[in-house]
Amino acid sequence: MQDLKALHEAVLNGDAKTAKAVTEQALAAGIEPMKLVQEYMVPAMAEVGRRFECNEYFVPELLLAARAMKAALELIRPLLTASGVQPVARVALGTVKGDLHDIGKNLVAAMLEGGGYEVIDLGVNVTPEQFVAAVKEKGANIIAMSALLTTTMPAMKTTVDALQQAGVRQQVKVLIGGAPVTQKYADEIGADGFSESAAGAVAVAKKAVGN
Amino acid sequence: MPIAVYPGLTLTGAKVCDIVTKPQAQIDAQVALHERYHTPFVLSAMDLSAEAEAFGCTIHSSETEIPSVTGRLVTTLEQAQKLSVPQPGDKRTAVYLETVRRLRQLPDRPLVFGGGIGPFSLAARLVGVSEAMEMTVTEPDLMHVLLEKCTVFITAYLRAFREAGANGVIMAEPAAGLLSPRSLSQFSSAYIRQIGEAVADGQFALILHNCAAKLLHLPAVLETGLKSFHFGAPMDIATALGKAPADVVLCGNLDPTAAFVQLPPAEVTARVAKLLSATAAHRNFVLSSGCDVPPSAPLANLDAFYEAMK
Repeated sequence: MQDLKALHEAVLNGDAKTAKAVTEQALAAGIEPMKLVQEYMVPAMAEVGRRFECNEYFVPELLLAARAMKAALELIRPLLTASGVQPVARVALGTVKGDLHDIGKNLVAAMLEGGGYEVIDLGVNVTPEQFVAAVKEKGANIIAMSALLTTTMPAMKTTVDALQQAGVRQQVKVLIGGAPVTQKYADEIGADGFSESAAGAVAVAKKAVGN
Repeated sequence: MPIAVYPGLTLTGAKVCDIVTKPQAQIDAQVALHERYHTPFVLSAMDLSAEAEAFGCTIHSSETEIPSVTGRLVTTLEQAQKLSVPQPGDKRTAVYLETVRRLRQLPDRPLVFGGGIGPFSLAARLVGVSEAMEMTVTEPDLMHVLLEKCTVFITAYLRAFREAGANGVIMAEPAAGLLSPRSLSQFSSAYIRQIGEAVADGQFALILHNCAAKLLHLPAVLETGLKSFHFGAPMDIATALGKAPADVVLCGNLDPTAAFVQLPPAEVTARVAKLLSATAAHRNFVLSSGCDVPPSAPLANLDAFYEAMK
C-alpha cells in the first residue's frame, strides 16, 4: 500500500487521480475513513489555504486541490454514512439569486466538506425559496450564501427574511461571503457569520455552530 | 477619472438592459455623466459578455444586471479547434461599435474610449471561468488554441473601434489576475502583447484593466509592452508606481463597491485625498475607480469623488 502521505501530497498538488487511487488502496487495506480525512486531507487543505494567503498558490491551485479532495471524499462519504458518523453540520450552499459566479462557492464547498460538514450545493442563482426548502426538506442547519455583485447582495437579506417568514430562521445559522460582502453588511442583515475568504469559511462555520 | 457609465442610469431613468442593447441608451447615460462632471473623455459601457456572445455563448440577461455567460461553449480540444472566430459587429458587439461611432459625434469632441474584454478573460468565458483556471494546469494546449482565436477576434474588434472613431480602448482582463504571475504571463500577457503590437500606437491607446492583479503580478503585466494600465483595489498602487517605468501610466484604484457604493460621500472624499497623497510623488498616476462603477453607486459619491479631485 502506498504511504498515506501520498494522499496529503495528492490533495496539496491538486492530483485528483492519485488522491482517488491512494484513498481506494487505503480503504481496501482497512484504514479508517475518518483517519484519511482528518490526518491527511484536512491538513492538506489547510496548507493549501495557507499557501493561498501567502500568494504561493492562486485560484487554479485552490480549485485543483478542492477537486482532488472531492475525488477522495466521494469514496469516503458513503462509508461514513453507513457507519453512522455524523457530519459536523449540514450546509446548504449557493450563490444568491441573480448571481452566476461560482468560484468562491466551489472553494468554500470543498473546504467545508474537508472540515467534516455535509454540503448540499444548490448551485448558482439560488432563490430564497430554494434556501428555505433546503432547511425544511433537507435538514440544513447552516445556510451559506455567496454574492459577487453589489446588485445581488440584497438577495442575502431577502433570504434571511424568507427564512424568518418560513418560521425556520431560528433553526439555522446564516453565513455569508463574497467580494463586496463585509462584516458590517453581515451584521446589518442579521447573518450569523461572515468570512472574507474561502479558507476562513470553516472556522466561521465552526464558530457559528458552537463547535 | 472613474470608469463609469451605468451610474448615468440614475439620471436618464433607463435600465441596465437598455444600456447593453441600445446604443442611444448607453450614449444618453454616458453623456449625462459627461455633462454633470465635465469629463475630458467618454466611454462605452463595460460589458464582458458581448464578445463571448458573438462566439456563440449563451447569455443570461435581466433588466437590472449586466449580462453574464452561462454554461460552457467549449469543453474539448476538438471543439476549441473547430470553433469559428466571429467578426466585429456580430451580435451585441455591434451595440458598442455604434455607441463609439455616435460618441465621436459629440459637439464638444471629448476623447472617446471603447471597452472590450481581454483574451484570457474571453477564453475563460468560452470554457467556463472556474474550468479555465484549472485548465491552465490540466489542459494548457486547449487554452492556447482558444487564446489564439480570442486574440484574432479582439485584434479585429479593437481595429473596428478605431475605425468607428475611438481614441483608444480599455481592455478588461480581470480573470488573469486570479492566476499566478507566471501563468498570467503565459496565458494573458503574451497574447495582449500581440494585440498591442497590432493596434496600439501614438494615435490609438490600449489601456489594460486588470482589477484582480496584485503587486506581485506587476512584472508579468508590464510584459504586455503597453503604456497604460488600470488597476483595482488589490493593487498596492503607490508601490507599483515606484516599480513601473516612468513612461508607463498607472490608473486606479478606488474600490468601486467598498468606496463608491458602500461609503458615505465624506468617506469617499477622504479616500480620494489619501490616495492622492500616497501617489503625489508620481506624475504617471491617474486617479480612477478600481473597476467599473456599478449602477447602484449613489451619484452623491461620484459628486464627492470629482469634487475631491479638483
